[in-house]
Amino acid sequence: MNWPPMLMHIKIKNKNTRFGLWLPLFLLLPVALVFFLVLSPLILIGIIVLWHTGWGKVALFSLKAAFVAFWSLRGFKVDIQGRNECVQISII
Amino acid sequence: MSDNKKKILEMLAEKKISADEAYKLLSAIDSNEGESGDEGHDAFKGKSPGNKGKPKYLRVTVMPPVGGTINGKGNLMQDGNVGRVNVRVPMSLIRAGIKLTALIPPEALDKANSALKEKGINFDVRSIKTEDIEDLIEALGDMEIDVEGGKGEKVKVFVE
Repeated sequence: MNWPPMLMHIKIKNKNTRFGLWLPLFLLLPVALVFFLVLSPLILIGIIVLWHTGWGKVALFSLKAAFVAFWSLRGFKVDIQGRNECVQISII
Repeated sequence: MSDNKKKILEMLAEKKISADEAYKLLSAIDSNEGESGDEGHDAFKGKSPGNKGKPKYLRVTVMPPVGGTINGKGNLMQDGNVGRVNVRVPMSLIRAGIKLTALIPPEALDKANSALKEKGINFDVRSIKTEDIEDLIEALGDMEIDVEGGKGEKVKVFVE
């Protein structure tokens, strides 16, 4: 089973600045879910209204694609290091 | 060899299941074992490139010249100098990305095709179909790009 991303770690370091942030995505997920549920009637109406123009299908597909892309982010990591700088973004 | 694999082979020997079924079951066990492995440790430690099996990550690494400086000024990616870059992209994200190409308007695809042709690449972006994604990703498992720049920096693109 593919688990959703739980934590996001951002680390930026240079000569003058040292910044690190652990973002608990698992806490944001329930908030996003509630937000989506509240907005879902509006989204549904929008999709139905736009269906005959073709954009409804695109909107529906976009929603699904955005959800799948977010779900697939677990394991993504970017690590860039210079002599004095360092940028790290990892999604766990 | 795990007990499950032994049982499958025994069932095959006893002709309780066909060779195809045995193959499917063994593949399922292998993929489960792969998924249950410690991703956090193995996946970013730099397993040997060209690792066979189901690819899980696309890795892009840029290494500065051995013993060389990253940048005289200590700045990152300036004046064409190279820092150490390590990017790991999950295959599932690439899969989702390829599926997103279905959202690109046909006009934009035509523009992309003509831009590719200008660069000498005769490829129709519209020919990428969601049904072919799995084959494409599987084929990526054999891919390994290894480039050494003029300043000695090394760029590697591989899957693991």
